[in-house]
Amino acid sequence: MSTELDVMNQAVAATSQLVGKYLTFAIGEEEYGVPVLKVREIIKMMDITQVPQVPHHVKGVINLRGKVIPVVDLRLKFSFAEQAYTERTCIIVVEVALPSSNVMMGIVVDAVSEVLNIAADEIEQTPEFGERVTTDYMKGVAKVKGKVKILLDLDRVLNAEGVVSLRAAA
Amino acid sequence: MRETTEQLIARVDQGLGRAACELVLASGAEAASVRDLMTEVALGFEAFPAPGVAALARIARETANAPGGEMAAKLAQLEAAWNGWKAAQFAATETPVEDAAIAVPALVSPQALLEVAPPAPQPDPDHASGQAFASTDDEIAMLVADAELAGMFIAEALDHLSSIETLVLQVETQPDDVKLLNDVFRPFHTIKGNAGALGVTSVQELAHRVENLLDLARSGRHTMGAAEIDAVLKAVDLLTTMIQGLTARIAGQPAPDVSGECGDLAALIDGLISGEITEEAPKVLASEAVAALVPDVASSTPSPEIERTSGAKVVARPQTRGAEDSLQAVKVDTRKLDNLVDMVGELVIVQSIIREDPALARLVDERLTRHLAQLKRITSDLQRNAMSMRMTPIRQTFQKMSRLVRDLSRKSGKTIDLVLGGEDTELDRKVVEDINDPLMHMVRNSVDHGIETPEARRAAGKPAQARVSLTAAHEGGNIVIAIADDGAGLNTERIRAKAIAQGVIDANSDLSPGEIHELIFRPGFSTAEKITEISGRGVGMDVVRRNIEALRGRIEIQSVTGQGTTFAIKLPLTLAILEGLLLRIGQERFVLPTFSVRESLRPSREQVHSMQGRRRLIQVRDTLLPMIHLSELFGATGPLPEPWESTVVVIEDNDRRVGLMVDELLGKQEVVIKALGQTFSTVRGVAGGAILGDGRVGLILDAGGLVSLMDKPLDQAA
Repeated sequence: MSTELDVMNQAVAATSQLVGKYLTFAIGEEEYGVPVLKVREIIKMMDITQVPQVPHHVKGVINLRGKVIPVVDLRLKFSFAEQAYTERTCIIVVEVALPSSNVMMGIVVDAVSEVLNIAADEIEQTPEFGERVTTDYMKGVAKVKGKVKILLDLDRVLNAEGVVSLRAAA
Repeated sequence: MRETTEQLIARVDQGLGRAACELVLASGAEAASVRDLMTEVALGFEAFPAPGVAALARIARETANAPGGEMAAKLAQLEAAWNGWKAAQFAATETPVEDAAIAVPALVSPQALLEVAPPAPQPDPDHASGQAFASTDDEIAMLVADAELAGMFIAEALDHLSSIETLVLQVETQPDDVKLLNDVFRPFHTIKGNAGALGVTSVQELAHRVENLLDLARSGRHTMGAAEIDAVLKAVDLLTTMIQGLTARIAGQPAPDVSGECGDLAALIDGLISGEITEEAPKVLASEAVAALVPDVASSTPSPEIERTSGAKVVARPQTRGAEDSLQAVKVDTRKLDNLVDMVGELVIVQSIIREDPALARLVDERLTRHLAQLKRITSDLQRNAMSMRMTPIRQTFQKMSRLVRDLSRKSGKTIDLVLGGEDTELDRKVVEDINDPLMHMVRNSVDHGIETPEARRAAGKPAQARVSLTAAHEGGNIVIAIADDGAGLNTERIRAKAIAQGVIDANSDLSPGEIHELIFRPGFSTAEKITEISGRGVGMDVVRRNIEALRGRIEIQSVTGQGTTFAIKLPLTLAILEGLLLRIGQERFVLPTFSVRESLRPSREQVHSMQGRRRLIQVRDTLLPMIHLSELFGATGPLPEPWESTVVVIEDNDRRVGLMVDELLGKQEVVIKALGQTFSTVRGVAGGAILGDGRVGLILDAGGLVSLMDKPLDQAA
């Protein structure tokens, strides 16, 4: 598992200068992509310290080499059913633009797939999905090798975590 | 057209100054510029009918015509004669020699001197014109050419201006102190000289005008009254704007044009000097329209003892007189300092992880144990040292308030005595920065809404002179900054009425005065009857509180209607390190700051009582304390252990004690506080995270938050 991660990290490092490269990962049956520029690193699942009074999908905080960063479970954020973590479950550390500053956050995903170079002609406009999935979170949809990847607008997805409402428990 | 003595002095001083500089490099061709200068100076002398000047003119001519090798000597002779003549003019008793001498700018590099400086500004009979202060592209030519030079000039000048501001406020209370007047004169002189050598004529000209006034003051020929102080402060403001604008202009950006205001100020200063303008001057300077000034400003020469009818007195306690600190200091880039502190923090953590490593625990080796203990000692010392580098006294912030109070009170016509205390109290640098705006806002509120007009105060039987005090002190693990005034106090009736009108509270609700006071922290709340430019827009107190809470602090109010109000800001002593009690609750570990802990005990069944079936009480000696369990507070459900099966830690916040039930006490530890970030900013009861010995994060509990959770559980949170 660790060599896979190393390869992944190297791929991310090598491609981070270029636009159009996406890191893709899986949640359940669906595949998502985030711009490689936003990805700082990928780490194995680790113990997360819970913090009270936050929404269910905010798992808590972890220690990333001396920095304490929040961790959000994307599966729960997207209202999928909760599932036990496997050895493929990872935390992707991303940089998010919140209103006042940029912060680092971790997102828990089922598995990390690959770094894809997505060309302009492979990207399509976001279709209407109805209420199931909020299309605000999507920058677009890409069709690569016959598979559909949903390109996420991370800042939008995680911006709500900038301010936590106390009534979230309701 | 006949020059005044002042104008002659100014011109000759400058001419001699430049000549001295250029002579440093003069050789053959360059000396020509020195000769021209001397000829000009000679002409000036010849046109000035006064005793003794003819001799000066002669020496100047001789200097202009002297052979290259003798020029320096001749110039020195001229300077000596010139100084003598000036001294005779003022019959001054205490003119420090170095100030009467020609100012040789310290900053200028030889390269800069070779460029011909623009001609000295001609004495302008039309003083009201801002022409002399106009910013031109020429005047920044030298600064653009040499960035390092520009940087040094700007930094030094701003430093000087900042110390001038502090000193001149003291002149107001000690207008006859010659040493003080000299201390204020000298930096203006330096700024003028430096600006002149670099060709920044707008700055030079303004500094020169103020310097004139101060020169007269220090030689006893003019008294520095309130109007003069106002003028100097205004000059400081304008010069600061102009010098800060230089940075923008060098980069090709536009900068604010204050030449008109400079012209006005110059006219004012001339008026003060000639005696045409007296105490009424402040109205000339006020650029904003202000609500009713106190109409009867009667006296013109206030005596220090009796109250003044307008103006403010600043009393600063310990020494702040321009005395250089005896400590040796270096300037360090703050980013380097922050990096250092961060790295030391990491070192402490890693060192701790090593010491707790189970593999190490298995090794029983005396030498190793000793070395590890020493490692811990050195690391702790290092950390304490690094932290202290970030600490700085609050003095500067407080002194900014002096200026603010003075300006506000003069604008509003109230007489206010500002008393400062504890200026030596040290705080983390970041806290000092962040506390500035909230403090300013609260001081403004005090002056604006708290302090009554002198008439109202007299009618209420209070001394007409109001008192505002600003103090800082260490208290427990905190810094307490208090702003107290003896004004009208918070008007509970008006606050209540406003809150009902805004629908915030029910008309029938019965609130204690303390609870009513807390209402002012609501967004958009202000009971000011009219909005002044100073305050009353209702933006304030909620932002103030949020700023303070962002620093993990608290703000408390104490107010008595008719007597006054005190705001107390409580802030943690250091942002970064905490001594905490490590405890385990379930599977999680938490850190409780030791300054919140009073004691811990394992209660017996007899000490535990219950109330209404739910709330548990514990009897500690003679007092009954409520007991709480963290899972309750944090909203978890499920069975709780019995108190007599747990350890109870008594925590205290704001004189309230509560017993916290925990599973196990794991010991005391110094931890580095890591902020949790915006994501968790509304979480109550948690002050941050700490990285524990094994690398995991332990939440740091906040006693105040826990107690508030007990009072107002989550489902009732506002």
